[in-house]
Amino acid sequence: MIAALRLLAARRLRIAIRVEDAALAEELRRLVLDAGHEVVHEHADIVMQAPTGGFAALAEAEPRALLTPREVEVLGAIGEGLTNKAIARKLGISLHTVKFHVESLFRKLGARTRTEALARAAERRMDV
Amino acid sequence: MTTDLLQQFSSALAERASSVQGTVAALRLSEARHLSATLWHPDVAVASEQSLPRGEDFDLVLAGGATVKAKLAGRDPGTNIAALRLERALDFHSPKIGEAKAGALALAFGADGAGGVRARLGIVNTAGPEWASSAGGRIERYIVLDLSLAGAEEGGPVLDAAGSRLGISTFGPRGRVLVIPSATIERVLPALLADGRIARGWLGVGLQPVAVPDALQEQAGQPGGAMVMSIVPDGPAAKAGLVAGDIVLSVNGTPAYRLRRIAAALSSVGSTAELRLIRGGKVLSVKATTEARPR
Repeated sequence: MIAALRLLAARRLRIAIRVEDAALAEELRRLVLDAGHEVVHEHADIVMQAPTGGFAALAEAEPRALLTPREVEVLGAIGEGLTNKAIARKLGISLHTVKFHVESLFRKLGARTRTEALARAAERRMDV
Repeated sequence: MTTDLLQQFSSALAERASSVQGTVAALRLSEARHLSATLWHPDVAVASEQSLPRGEDFDLVLAGGATVKAKLAGRDPGTNIAALRLERALDFHSPKIGEAKAGALALAFGADGAGGVRARLGIVNTAGPEWASSAGGRIERYIVLDLSLAGAEEGGPVLDAAGSRLGISTFGPRGRVLVIPSATIERVLPALLADGRIARGWLGVGLQPVAVPDALQEQAGQPGGAMVMSIVPDGPAAKAGLVAGDIVLSVNGTPAYRLRRIAAALSSVGSTAELRLIRGGKVLSVKATTEARPR
């Protein structure tokens, strides 16, 4: 479920979840906040707004911070909610190599979490 | 008349809120939800495009609670402006246009949904130069406010201390409150009202800047390009023979990873774009003609 949330969040969506159990609601709320999203309470629902949401500036990367085509592929797999192990299987590379690519992605994008990496990369993308 | 400074300040703020009330309307989305809209002309209101659902017909709740029907006249994701035409003109005097200054007081207003006004006080956090949005628009000033805003207040007017209008409020990334400057609204509004949109050149590709693989750098003659991530069937790029996975090196000589310059270079409809690209380890050139972005 968290993977699904992450995937949706990377696509500028707002998600509303109605949770009857107060303890579970609190736990979910913390998870959402930890992932760098915002939580807005509206009629006791949890509304999560993706960090990429909002009217954003087009971000430009310096040449040395450009992702390699392989890193873009790994990022796409992260966006599908895959774990490092699943990414390794999908791309036919070792787990070690995946971790190396993910580290490099985080560094180049200035991101601390997978969600943040997706958000930052989205700011560099353009439909023209 | 009191001489207490704090009371005078407070009265002045409350005075401002009641004087702005006639220019703010609630754009009703459902029984319980609304957005804010700002009257720009007697029969035209503007709102934040990104939060406005699809649809043609909307109800605006005016000051005091009266309702007026409004039709969507046009929307431009590039500058995040939606224009609505009211079914009847209102008695309305447009305030003066103000210029944002960093550190100056800013008042943001929204509609409460029942004919009242909601007010926020903060300062102008950033008053930067012109910028480009990721949706391809040009915005005259980069204005960030140091205040928080509820979702329903987005799209309301933002005033300076003199009561001049800086623009309308909107949300940037991470809930940051931005202002769409009055100058941008004034520039975009006539075309939006006339054509329903702002025509921008379009190729029908999604581009992600990438580093050119080491083995190809010498041949490419540059460190980066932009990979074609998606391509619209029968769009201008598809007609020119581009396929997903191509790495575009340059557009009319501009390196393709410079997205802002690429967006500017493609801004007119019907212009020819010479694309240099890498496909299967070879560098080739294709020509594409920009079209108007479909609705």
